[in-house]
Amino acid sequence: MRDRDALDNNPHISRSALEAMHSQLFGWALSRCGMQRTAAEDLVQQAYVELLSGNARFDNKSSLKTFVFAVVQNLAKSRFRRLATRMRLVQQYQVADDVVDPTEPSAQNNIWIAVRELPTRQRDIVELVFCRDLTIEEAAAVMRVSVGTGRAHYDRAKKALREKLKEWSETDR
Amino acid sequence: MNDPDTDLVNEFKHGRHLTDELDHRPFATVWRAAQQTVVASRRRYRMFMAAAVLVAAAVISVSMQVPSPAVPVYIEVAELLDSTNWVAPSDVLLPDRQFDIYQEIPVLHQPTEPARGALL
Repeated sequence: MRDRDALDNNPHISRSALEAMHSQLFGWALSRCGMQRTAAEDLVQQAYVELLSGNARFDNKSSLKTFVFAVVQNLAKSRFRRLATRMRLVQQYQVADDVVDPTEPSAQNNIWIAVRELPTRQRDIVELVFCRDLTIEEAAAVMRVSVGTGRAHYDRAKKALREKLKEWSETDR
Repeated sequence: MNDPDTDLVNEFKHGRHLTDELDHRPFATVWRAAQQTVVASRRRYRMFMAAAVLVAAAVISVSMQVPSPAVPVYIEVAELLDSTNWVAPSDVLLPDRQFDIYQEIPVLHQPTEPARGALL
């Protein structure tokens, strides 16, 4: 049955369902954009544009959350691919400084520092499962990898995090 | 004793507010902006399509007004088939530039090598 506030071009998506996941979606977009708030807001807005216009069409075969997270992931990839290349070049040739963005979680949590040191896919799956409450299967769907690959990344990430946290707790003593 | 996974998840939950609860633009504002973007892009698309249709119509009408250059036909096939007599339209086939053969002698390439004792 069609929801009362379903979108015209995406009848399986309702405005209220999107509203319910807005915070988590913003958090996910934030981590896709290297914690740049303005870029994350643009990314979320662009994702809504894609849903409203029907360019990204939800066919109800997966969960809505998985689908919308994947839309943000794909938009971020296509939008920031060139930017990331340029940033890497800039970082390669500029003198490293230790200025840390105060809004960045890694500045305040050991766990985030450990997560940042993980390879990209492991970092993504850890964030999706631990912070965004997705199952491993859903996280794998967002990342467009098989469930087996997702599980492998998840297990490796957990192992690496445990070792890192244990190492730090021993150093603190 | 806690499950090690639970400990890890709790560590994350503890730090979760750092990203999720940062004050971000409320849903209604982002949604309205997205709707406006969609409406604006549709309007742009409609205007572009209307302009494209106008340009196409203009090109077609102009091309219909310009007469196509007449292609000279040297041999009328129908005429040829209708009769048993045919004369080559020599006037049409004459070269544009004519010369007086008594005043301007065209340079013709001639072989200087004799063949069997005679010039070709």
